[in-house]
Amino acid sequence: MNRILEFLNQCRIKLIQGGNATMNKLLIVDDEIEICEFLKSFFEDRDFKVAVAHDGTKALEQMGLFNPEVVLLDIQMPGMDGLQTLKKIKEAYPKAKVIMVTAVETQEKIEEAMRLGADNYITKPLSLEYLEKDVQDKIDILAKGS
Amino acid sequence: MSFHVRTPKTFLKKVLVGLVLFSLGAFAAYLLPFLIPSSGISDPWVHHPLLPILVMTVIFVAAYKSTERWVKKFLEKYFFHKKTFAQMTLMDLAGDLAVNLDLQEIANLVVNTFGEVLQLKTVALLVPDLLQNNFEVASAYGWTISASKRVRLAAETPLLRMIHQTGPHVLMRGPVLQSLTWQEANALARDLDSLQAAWIIPLFVKGELAGLLAFGALVPDTVFDQGDFHFFREFAAAIAPCVHNAMVVKRLRQFNFELQDTQSQWVQKTKLNAIEKLAAGIAHEIHNPLAIISGKAQVLLMQKGPKQLEPNVQDALNTIVKQTRRAADITRKLLMYSQGSRGPQEWISLERVLDETLSLLAYQASIDKIEIVRNLDPELPAFFANMQEIREIFLNLLLNAVEAVGSEGKIVVELKYHRDEELIEIVCSDTGKGIPAEHLDKVFNPFYTTRHEAVGLGLFVTKQIAHRYGGSIRVESQVGIGSMFILQLPYVAETVRLQRASSSPQQGKEAARNSEAKRTGATVAGAHTEP
Repeated sequence: MNRILEFLNQCRIKLIQGGNATMNKLLIVDDEIEICEFLKSFFEDRDFKVAVAHDGTKALEQMGLFNPEVVLLDIQMPGMDGLQTLKKIKEAYPKAKVIMVTAVETQEKIEEAMRLGADNYITKPLSLEYLEKDVQDKIDILAKGS
Repeated sequence: MSFHVRTPKTFLKKVLVGLVLFSLGAFAAYLLPFLIPSSGISDPWVHHPLLPILVMTVIFVAAYKSTERWVKKFLEKYFFHKKTFAQMTLMDLAGDLAVNLDLQEIANLVVNTFGEVLQLKTVALLVPDLLQNNFEVASAYGWTISASKRVRLAAETPLLRMIHQTGPHVLMRGPVLQSLTWQEANALARDLDSLQAAWIIPLFVKGELAGLLAFGALVPDTVFDQGDFHFFREFAAAIAPCVHNAMVVKRLRQFNFELQDTQSQWVQKTKLNAIEKLAAGIAHEIHNPLAIISGKAQVLLMQKGPKQLEPNVQDALNTIVKQTRRAADITRKLLMYSQGSRGPQEWISLERVLDETLSLLAYQASIDKIEIVRNLDPELPAFFANMQEIREIFLNLLLNAVEAVGSEGKIVVELKYHRDEELIEIVCSDTGKGIPAEHLDKVFNPFYTTRHEAVGLGLFVTKQIAHRYGGSIRVESQVGIGSMFILQLPYVAETVRLQRASSSPQQGKEAARNSEAKRTGATVAGAHTEP
């Protein structure tokens, strides 16, 4: 009886948080709108639920509303940059997996990102095959952990 | 006095003495028949043809020594103004040196002429080094090469202190040592022994010590008279300005060289800064559109089933993906090296890095019929560096060589360790088309290239890396024959020797393979080893 109640409760929470419980959620943060758009359609085709943010502040808002499992986070953005955003995400939502996406990889920035708890980084232009695999890996890790 | 081949002037003098004696003897022999009959003796032996020769020999032997002295005095008085042949030669030399500005040449001439003319055992000319702290041997006569390289006199040595006290006088070992306490004498004797000298002529210019002429005699108890010492001072006064001027010129050249070096480094750095700014901007601005182009092409390529595209469209899309990656690599590479951000450093085996790089090229080389030979110093130590940067060096040098050769040719890569200079040397030579002399100084400039599809950063980057390790790179080339790139990296002394055949069996196997390759001439081209 307790188990059933618990299950129903979980379903209710998931419904409130938005949508299908079996769909994985991905947040794409990039100031390039085009990039966000094609990544969104790419992951939606692969049965992800995708939200998009164009700067750090919006990204943090989305974290609260959308509660994604995986975040694709651009480093160079106007205003709050990717590294600051990463820090705040990891503080408030330690469970979320963050993959840094950079146009220019400098050793220091990558090291800094890793130190702040980024789970991986990939560089533009992206290999979609690799990105898909990496996102899936992160989700598998989360599934095993829970 | 013994006959000496090395001194033609002494020989000339002897001929002169002989001539004088011979004419005397001939004159006596001519007079003899007239003198003897008048005395009433008429034995047949008087007219014997051997008699004049006998008389001449007697006169020769008896009069040689005194005649020589007489001839010498005569010559000195009337021809050389009281100077000997030796002194003449040396003063001639001093005159010649006045128009010479090459320190090495001056030093060689001084020590060799001084040593040979005066028939000395050792002569050394010491001059202040570039920092003017020590005196070093500029040239030496009768010394071993290693001794002349090793010997240095610090400013505070007893000998130099003594010379500063005594001034331009010639320093004589015997009398000076006797005038000192035994401790001081011992210290001074050590300095004199290191210079293998019994006499020292200081070379002063305006009260400043410009050099030292230190020499020792062949015969232990050789003495020089007052006239000789007078001459030594005169000689010193004549050559000191020459040595001093040459020294100043040498220093100026050195400073000039350093200035040029600093300037070119500065220019290079300015260029680099400009490139960095440009590259950072370009990379960010270009990588985003590239990501979109490449991404959309990838999305299309991933379509499966009924939506799958025609093979020719797929080909085009693949090319798009590949070329966007290439474009991004260019800016990435530019940025990476203009920033000079150093990755982690570790002890690496240059041999292994070279082999990895060669395996990347082996396939291409075998197609182009290029033979690649590697030549390794068996004593090559592990090198502390960033793996990526060393790989980049090898890759750039080798790619360059492969491009230069085109097809059918040979590339030789040598790794050498110069223990004495603590240098690691990477030499890459090819039998390619060579570089015209007027382009030689441009090959290391950024964006210099002779190929249409190349960026022109390979050698530039290689040079940057070499500089980062405090090393250098230079090129020697002849059109039609080939080029040789010589890269030198200073080796850090505290290196642990690479234990080749120890540790893991895998390494052992590799070491065995490598030594095998070395024996057989190490041809790797043709080995189809894809990475």
